[in-house]
Amino acid sequence: MGYGRSDSYRVATSQDKDGKSSPSKKNKKGKDMDELKKEVPITEHKMSIEECCRKFNTDIVQGLTNAKAAEFLIRDGPNCLTPPPTTPEWIKFCRQLFGGFSILLWTGAILCFLAYAIQAATEDEPAGDNLYLGIVLSVVVVVTGCFSYFQEAKSSKIMESFKNMVPQQALVIREGEKMTINAEEVVAGDLVEVKGGDRIPADLRVVSAHGCKVDNSSLTGESEPQSRSPDCTHDNPLETRNVAFFSTNCVEGTARGIVVCTGDRTVMGRIATLTSGLESGKTPIAKEIEHFIHLITGVAVFLGITFFILAVCLGYTWLEAVIFLIGIIVANVPEGLLATVTVCLTLTAKRMAKKNCLVKNLEAVETLGSTSTICSDKTGTLTQNRMTVAHMWFDNQIHEADTTEDQSGASFDKTSASWAALARVAALCNRAVFKAGQDQLPILKRDTAGDASESALLKCIELSCGSVKQIREKNKKVAEIPFNSTNKYQLSVHETEDPNDNRYLLVMKGAPERILDRCTTIIIQGKEQPMDEEMKESFQNAYMELGGLGERVLGFCHLLMPEDQYPKGFAFDCDDVNFTTESLCFVGLMSMIDPPRAAVPDAVGKCRSAGIKVIMVTGDHPITAKAIAKGVGIISEGNETVEDIASHHTGSRSANSLCSLMFPLLSLSDAKACVIHGTDLKELSQDQMDDILRNHTEIVFARTSPQQKLIIVEGCQRLGAIVAVTGDGVNDSPALKKADIGVAMGISGSDVSKQAADMILLDDNFASIVTGVEEGRLIFDNLKKSIAYTLTSNIPEITPFLLFIIVNIPLPLGTITILCIDLGTDMVPAISLAYEAAESDIMKRQPRNPTRDKLVNERLISIAYGQIGMIQALGGFFSYFVILAENGFLPSILVGIRLNWDDRACNDLEDSYGQQWTYEQRKIVEFTCHTAFFVSIVVVQWADVIVCKTRRNSVFQQGMKNKILIFGLFEETALAAFLSYTPGMDVALRMFPLKPSWWFCAVPYSVLIFVYDEIRKLLIRRNPGGKWLSLSLYNI
Amino acid sequence: MSTKEETPVADGDKPQTSSWKDSIYNPRTGEFIGRTAKSWALILLFYLVFYGFLAGMFTLTMWVMLQTLDDNIPTYRDRVASPGLVIRPRSLDIVFNRTDTKQYVQYVQHLENFLQQYNDTVQERNELCMVGEYYEQDDQEEKKVCQFKRSLLRQCSGLSDTTFGYTEGKPCVLVKMNRIIGLKPRGDPYINCTAKRESPLQMQYFPSEGRFDKMYFPYYGKNLHSTYVQPLVAVKLLLTKEDYNNELTVECKIEGSDLRNSDDRDKFLGRVTFRVKVVE
Repeated sequence: MGYGRSDSYRVATSQDKDGKSSPSKKNKKGKDMDELKKEVPITEHKMSIEECCRKFNTDIVQGLTNAKAAEFLIRDGPNCLTPPPTTPEWIKFCRQLFGGFSILLWTGAILCFLAYAIQAATEDEPAGDNLYLGIVLSVVVVVTGCFSYFQEAKSSKIMESFKNMVPQQALVIREGEKMTINAEEVVAGDLVEVKGGDRIPADLRVVSAHGCKVDNSSLTGESEPQSRSPDCTHDNPLETRNVAFFSTNCVEGTARGIVVCTGDRTVMGRIATLTSGLESGKTPIAKEIEHFIHLITGVAVFLGITFFILAVCLGYTWLEAVIFLIGIIVANVPEGLLATVTVCLTLTAKRMAKKNCLVKNLEAVETLGSTSTICSDKTGTLTQNRMTVAHMWFDNQIHEADTTEDQSGASFDKTSASWAALARVAALCNRAVFKAGQDQLPILKRDTAGDASESALLKCIELSCGSVKQIREKNKKVAEIPFNSTNKYQLSVHETEDPNDNRYLLVMKGAPERILDRCTTIIIQGKEQPMDEEMKESFQNAYMELGGLGERVLGFCHLLMPEDQYPKGFAFDCDDVNFTTESLCFVGLMSMIDPPRAAVPDAVGKCRSAGIKVIMVTGDHPITAKAIAKGVGIISEGNETVEDIASHHTGSRSANSLCSLMFPLLSLSDAKACVIHGTDLKELSQDQMDDILRNHTEIVFARTSPQQKLIIVEGCQRLGAIVAVTGDGVNDSPALKKADIGVAMGISGSDVSKQAADMILLDDNFASIVTGVEEGRLIFDNLKKSIAYTLTSNIPEITPFLLFIIVNIPLPLGTITILCIDLGTDMVPAISLAYEAAESDIMKRQPRNPTRDKLVNERLISIAYGQIGMIQALGGFFSYFVILAENGFLPSILVGIRLNWDDRACNDLEDSYGQQWTYEQRKIVEFTCHTAFFVSIVVVQWADVIVCKTRRNSVFQQGMKNKILIFGLFEETALAAFLSYTPGMDVALRMFPLKPSWWFCAVPYSVLIFVYDEIRKLLIRRNPGGKWLSLSLYNI
Repeated sequence: MSTKEETPVADGDKPQTSSWKDSIYNPRTGEFIGRTAKSWALILLFYLVFYGFLAGMFTLTMWVMLQTLDDNIPTYRDRVASPGLVIRPRSLDIVFNRTDTKQYVQYVQHLENFLQQYNDTVQERNELCMVGEYYEQDDQEEKKVCQFKRSLLRQCSGLSDTTFGYTEGKPCVLVKMNRIIGLKPRGDPYINCTAKRESPLQMQYFPSEGRFDKMYFPYYGKNLHSTYVQPLVAVKLLLTKEDYNNELTVECKIEGSDLRNSDDRDKFLGRVTFRVKVVE
C-alpha cells in the first residue's frame, strides 16, 4: 500500500486550494484538512520498550499500579470517543417552538393578548374572544412544536440504541494481575493483552506478539490483515508493525502492548473529532421547506400589512385593524402543515427501516430521492464480501461455478474424473475449517476459520462433493508446508483413501505459473498425459482469461508418491524438504472472486434508468474492479473503457495500460466508461477531474484510498450533483459527512462512520439504497401533493376576511373554525397522501434538479391558490349566502351591514323580511355560517384530496386503493359532523348544528373541482410539454 | 444521460450572472418576473376566462338558490323563535342634566322621529281591530294593519309634553318588541320594569299595565305588511329628587306570556336593561 492516509489528505487539500469555493468556506475547510494532514503524533514506536515504560511510569511485567491507573484516568478522562457536540435538548425544543411558522403564530397570539389588554383597559365588559384566541394560538404553537420535537427525538433515539450496544471489555495487567475491565477505564501506560477476535481497546505499542494479525481496514483501507510484532519497521506510525490502533480488530494470534493514547487522542479519535467538525450543508428538503416557509410568510405578512393599512384607511379603529391582522395571519399560515410533513417523513423513514435503510436524520429520507450520483464501495456493498470459486479449468476447458448467494445458478459437469482429482486436492491442501455449531446453516453462510481463498475452496468443495471433513479424515495428513511468499505454494502429504494402497499422496496448490513449472504431466479426462507445448499454451490462455476477469487464480497439482521411494512410515521433513516437489501432475486451475450480490445488477440497472450515475470507488485492483463493474452493470455491456480503446490503438492489452491513464486519451470521448487508478487521481487537476466526471457516465475508481473519496465527492458536487456515498471505514467518514447523504454500513461499518452518516444500510446491500431512492422520490412527490392539498384551503380561509373588511359583510369564517380546518379536518387526508402509490415508474425518470424542481413552485401555488382554492372559496361563500338568505338576510342587504351587525347595542337589526334580530340571535346565524363554511371546506376538500392524489394520471387510472385516504375522507367528515352537532360545541367553539340541506351547498363546487382537474390532467396528458398551458396548469 | 449532465451548466449561468433586478425584468430575454409578455398575456387570458366561468357558475347557483326562497316568509325562523326587546331612545345609558336642554335634546329628537310613523293622522288610515284577539288574515291577499295611535302613550306621546318628561326629570322610555313573522304570543304579554335597588321605583306604563295587545299579531312580513307598526309600551320613570345624580339600572321584561325572557347568553331576549342617570 503505497498511499498512506497522510498522502491522500495532502491531495485533498491541494484540490481544495484550487477550488473556486467561497473563501470563508475554504479557510475553514482548509484548516480541518491541515489538521488531518498532520502526522500522527505517535513517537513511541520508535522508542525502545524500556523507554516506553519509563515514559508511562509502567512496568513491562507488573503493569501500572492501581493507584497510578486511577490517577491517569482522572488526568486523561475515560478512554472513549467524545460524541460529536450535540445541540442541547432545550435548544432543539426552542427551535421547534420558534422556527417555521411559529414566529408568525406567536405574533398573532401576542397581538391577541394585546388586543384583549386594550379592550380590558378601555371597556367595562371586555369580550373574551381575543383572550381565548390568543390562548388557542399559543397552545397550537406549543403543541405542534412539542409534536415535531418528539418526532425528531424519536428518530434520533434509534441512533442512540445503535451506540453502546456492546460494552467493550479489555484485559489489562495491573500490579501483576490480569483483570478484565471496561475498555473506557483503560489509561495510557496500561499493559493490555489482546487475542484474536478482540477489538483493540486503545492505541498500543506492541511489546510482544505471537502470530498477531490486525485488521486495519477501517483505518487505512487495507483489506488484508497485517501482522504485528514488537519491532519498529517504519517511521510512519501508521505503517509500522509495532503499533495497534484503537477500534481496529485483532484477527488472530495474541499480543501484549502498552497503551500510548486513549480516547480522542487516538488516531481513530482524531479522525472522528475532525469529522464531526466538518460542516454538512442543509439537506435539500430542508432548503425546500425553508423556501416554502419564506414564501408563505411573505404572503401572510404582505397581506396582513396591506389590509392593516387598508383597514385603518377605511376608518376602522386600530383595535379592529389588529384583529383583522390576526385573522389574516391565522388564515394564511397552514398551521398543521409542518407537522404533516414531519409525519410523512417519519412514515417513510419507518417504511425504509423495514427495507433495511435506517435513516438517522428525517430529512435525509428525501435527500436520497434527489440523489443524482451514488459513489459506492465495492466490497460488501456491491459484492457479497465472500471469496467464492467462480471458475475452474480442467480437462482443457473452463467451467463456471455457481457464485450466486442462493445457489440458483447453473452448475457444471461434475462427473469428470479430473474434477474428482481437483476437488480432492482442493479439499486436502487446505487449512480452512468450518467453525463449530453451524450445521443447520446453509454452507455459504457458515463462518470459517482460515484465509479467504481457502475458505472459498472449502465451501466450493463442501457444496459439490459433500463433507470435506470426511475427505480429510479418510486422507490423513502426514506432512504440510504452509504457504509462504518465497515458495508461492502450499503442499501437504496425505495417506490415500484406499487402505491397501500404501502410497502417499502429495497435493500442492499455489500461483499457477509456479505450479506449472513443477509439473511434467497433466490430467485430462482422468488420464495422466505428458505436458506438451500445446497444453502449456492452453493453460496460458486459460490463466490469462481468468486473470482478465479479475479473479484470483490458483493452480493445483498432485502426485501419488512411488511406494518404493517413500514407503509407509516415511518421515517427511518439511523444513528440510526430503521428498520430491518436482515432476508433479497438473490437475487444474480454480479462480475465485468476491461475486456481486444477486440483487445488485438489477439495482444498478434501476439507478441507470432513474438517471442516477453509479460510481464505483474501491481500493481493489483495477482489473478486479472492472470485472465486478461489468458484472453488476456499472460498466454496461458493450461499453468500452478508455483503456480498452487505447489498447485497441496500441495493440497491447496489458494490465499496465489500465493503470497508466494517458491524458490525451481522455479526448476519446466516445468512451463512456473509464477506470481510474488512485495514483492517477492524485495527479489530476480539478479541471481534468471535472472533465472525467462530466464526460464519462460509467466511472470506476480503483486503488483509491478512502480519503480520495472526498475528492471524488467534491468533484461531483461541483458539477451540481447530489451525491450519496457509501462507506464503512473510519477514513470514509469525512467523505460521508461531506456527501449530501452519507450511507454507512450496518454490519461492517465502524461506529465513527455510522456517526458521520445520515443513513445506515442494515444489510450492507447496495440494492437497499435503490429502494431508499425510490421511497425518497415517492415522498417528494407525495409531499408535494400534501402541500398542494393543505395550501388549497388557505384561499377559502383568507377570502372571508378580505371580503369582511372590504365589503363589510358579516364575517363568513372565524379564526377558530380556520384552526379546526388546519389542525383538524385537513390533517389526516394530508397525511394519507404520504401513503399514495407512485403514479408512474418513478425510477424511470431523471433525478430532480434541485435548482429547478422545487417542492413548492409558482405553478403549484397558481393551481392551489388561483384555481382550486378559488372554487373552494366560492363553495364556502355559496353556503354562507344560502344560510343567511334562508334565515332572512338576502345577499342584497348584506353589503355594508357589518357595522350594525357587529354592534352589540343594536338589537333590532332588520332583515330582508322585516324581522328584527337581537345581537345574539344574528351572531348565532353568523356562527352557523362559520360552521357551514367550515363544512363546505370539508366537502370541497373531499374533491381536493382526490384531485391531489395524482399529478398527471386520472383518478380512474390511479384508482382509490389508498385505504388511509379513504379513511381520511370519512374521518374528516365525521370530525366535521362531530364539531357541528356535539352539544356544548356552541359554547366551546361557537359551532352550531347545521340543517342537513346545508351540507350539500358546496357539493356542486366539489364536483366542479373534480371535473375541472380531470380536464386539466387530460389536457396535460394530451399535450405533454404543452407550452403556455403548462405554465399555468401543470403543478409538476 | 448527457443532457442531464449539461443542464446544470446551462442553468448555472443564469442565476449566477443575473442580479435580482433581472428577476423582475430581464432585458435580454424580455422576461418580466420570469415570463415574456406573451406568456403573461396568455396566463391573464386563461385566468380571465376561468374566473369568468366561475363567476357564471356562482351566479347560477345563487340564482337557483334565490328561486327556492319565498318572497314573504324566510325559509327558517327557528333562529328568531322569540323576540328581543329594545328601547327608544336608542341608548342604553341615558344620562342627562334635566336643566340643560342640550344634553337631552338628542333623546327627545330621537323619540320624536321614531314616533312619526305612529302619528294619529297616519294611524287613522289603519284598521281598528278587536281588542284582545289575534288579527289573523292568512287568507287575505292584502294584509291590513291595526292602528296604534301615538296618543295611546298619553304623557309619553310627546304630544302634551314635547320633551317626554325629560325636563321634569321623569323621562319616558319606549319599549318595543322585535318584529317576528308569524309570532303569536300566548297569554297576555305585558312589560314589567324594575329598578335594581332596594326600594321600588315608581313607574307609569302606557298603554295601561304595559300590555301588548294581541291584535297586533301576527306580523306578515315587510312585503305583505308594509305599513305594519309594532305595538309600543312607554315607561315613565317617576324619579324623585333622591334619585338624581345616582345611576339607576332598570330592567324591563316581557311577562305574562310564553315569550322567553331569561336567556343566559342573550341579554336582550324578552328583556332589556338600561341605565338612567339624571343630573340636576
